Amino acid sequence: MIKNLLLPLILALLAYGFWISPDFKDIASGVAIFLFGMLFLEEGFKKFSGGILESILQRSTDKLYKSLGFGIIATTIMQSSSLVSVLSISFLGAGLIGLAQGIGIIFGANLGTTTGAWLVAGFGLKVDIAAYAMPMLVFGIVFIFQKSKSLKGFGYILAGLGFLFLGIHYMKEGFEAFKETIDLASLSVGGLKGLLLFALVGVVATVVMQSSHATLVLIITALAAGQISYENALALAIGANVGTTITAIIGAMSSNIEGKRLAGAHLIFNFVTGLIAIAFIHQLMMAVEYLSDFVGIQSDDYALKLAVFHTIFNTIGIVVMLPFIDNLVNFLEKYVVSKEPSGEVSIARASYLSDAVLEFPTTALSALYQESRALYEKSFEIISYGLNLKPKRVDSLADIDEVLKEEYSNVAVDMDLLYNTQIKGIYGEILDFATKAQGNFPVEHIEEVHKIKLANRALVEALKDTKHLQKNMLRYKNHKNSYIKNEYNTIRKNIAELLRDINTLMRTQEEDVIIVLLSKARIHAQKNDILSNGVLDNLIRSRLITNEMATSLMNDSTYAYTICKNLIEMAEILCIPQKSDSSNIDNQMIINDDDIKELLETKEQK
Amino acid sequence: MSVSGFIQSVKEYLSLKDFEKSSKKKSVKSLLKKLRTKRKELKKTLATTIEKKEKQALEEELEIVALQIKKGKNILHELDAKE
Repeated sequence: MIKNLLLPLILALLAYGFWISPDFKDIASGVAIFLFGMLFLEEGFKKFSGGILESILQRSTDKLYKSLGFGIIATTIMQSSSLVSVLSISFLGAGLIGLAQGIGIIFGANLGTTTGAWLVAGFGLKVDIAAYAMPMLVFGIVFIFQKSKSLKGFGYILAGLGFLFLGIHYMKEGFEAFKETIDLASLSVGGLKGLLLFALVGVVATVVMQSSHATLVLIITALAAGQISYENALALAIGANVGTTITAIIGAMSSNIEGKRLAGAHLIFNFVTGLIAIAFIHQLMMAVEYLSDFVGIQSDDYALKLAVFHTIFNTIGIVVMLPFIDNLVNFLEKYVVSKEPSGEVSIARASYLSDAVLEFPTTALSALYQESRALYEKSFEIISYGLNLKPKRVDSLADIDEVLKEEYSNVAVDMDLLYNTQIKGIYGEILDFATKAQGNFPVEHIEEVHKIKLANRALVEALKDTKHLQKNMLRYKNHKNSYIKNEYNTIRKNIAELLRDINTLMRTQEEDVIIVLLSKARIHAQKNDILSNGVLDNLIRSRLITNEMATSLMNDSTYAYTICKNLIEMAEILCIPQKSDSSNIDNQMIINDDDIKELLETKEQK
Repeated sequence: MSVSGFIQSVKEYLSLKDFEKSSKKKSVKSLLKKLRTKRKELKKTLATTIEKKEKQALEEELEIVALQIKKGKNILHELDAKE
């Protein structure tokens, strides 16, 4: 109800403001242009995120101090902590960085955002920046119309900066003129009451504008024009810092659990920092005076003093919170958990896929690979159950003949139930995500996404064939006819060996191991196909098995063959990332059908 | 000149095409080195293995590695021939 009324209320207030004061119109349009500039700036940096930004982020966040540094530098360059937050959430969601690293980036971004205050207070108010804005806009738009992605991105950044400058100019002009008609400074409130009241105004203003940067610029321009008192400006800045977390929380709502945890960390950090700032406001003001004197800021330059204050209180927040990062991570992991609907059978959901990642192709691809590999891990267990094997034993160094003897259960596991609860949901999410990605991605990534889809399809087909295989396998694996029993146990053994090899493949980065294992898997699949190797013909001709057994074995060996083929196809795609430098060579090096034929023929001749 | 044409001429000017080829050759060579080391290790283990089943598995792996070394050499020859 309140949510539905909020928008019309804001629009009505703005319209009323425009009607009674043309200066207010200038200020409001300044804010609007500034926000528009930020959108352009984010769009521009996103154009460069097809690899560069992600690879920097991935390489520079392995240690906490590095992620902190990344947060500071990235936000300083991009002048948007929200873009850095979105990137961190998507990386966290894709499992490429841990929660502690994500928190480090957010802390750094908070400090990085103070550079905005310095730029506006030190440069924006002292120079006629509108003179720079117009050429930047013109050149920016010219670049935006270019076909090249890089030029387009550069154009967006240039135009974005142009709009930011223009927005600041309008705000500055608006407040200057406003001063002549209404003196907002007369509305200032002193003491603790004023501090809390203006902090709350700062929170609300940031939630409405969805940008602490815009609020801060508005505060600085109003302060420079003498429209608000210095004390109230400090309170507003504290409020803006808390308000910005609401934007992150709204953004994290569509994200996975990791994104929600990061938004939680952001809220806790900014809230604690805000409380410290309110509690020690007098001491902080003294520190600002001391530092301003030290660096030579004039005593009446309150705009720059506000920038000093903003930097000090964010630095204090980092110093206070940094030793507690591990506790914060534990707290968030304990209390921010995904809710399972009670009373229903729990359906497994994707862990790495989130729509927020879709805007960053390289990250989205990594997320797809991670999710597909996770799906394989689940499928591996289900296939093992289907073959009546213990997954942990299959995935061990134990002798495979011994593993075959240790049965998982006396009754058949419900493969349909396992598929529906453990696989189907995730598979659906992978397909949905991949399809959306294909619509969003540049051409060079589309083929790779298509291959990942094929890998997942092959995996699901292997699972379905295991279900078909299960019935007769349970019937014949302990049958009194030793020939049929032997054949079914050989099928179990072959698939178990392949699963073991694929598990090794999923864990290794060594190219030679990958190539040898994949080649071995291909050879085994061909060699073990009893339809082509003559074993079945022999059994029938010698009347060692009945006709009914022969039919079952013929069908099931086809299932076994396609299970192996599909698993190998999946492994070839998921274990050799298609875009890696050596992927082309690796694919060329794996033994093909002609090689296998030659190899098997040579063996026969021997 | 279009942007892609410009990039193409820069690539040619800086001999980046050759750079791509040489990096491919480098990858094949490093892979061949690894495979040769693997072959050596396999031969060593094979000489000391008595158990039949294990011996068979090692012989099979050795055959695969040998075939892959052959394939690697062919790729290298093809790359050399293109130069």
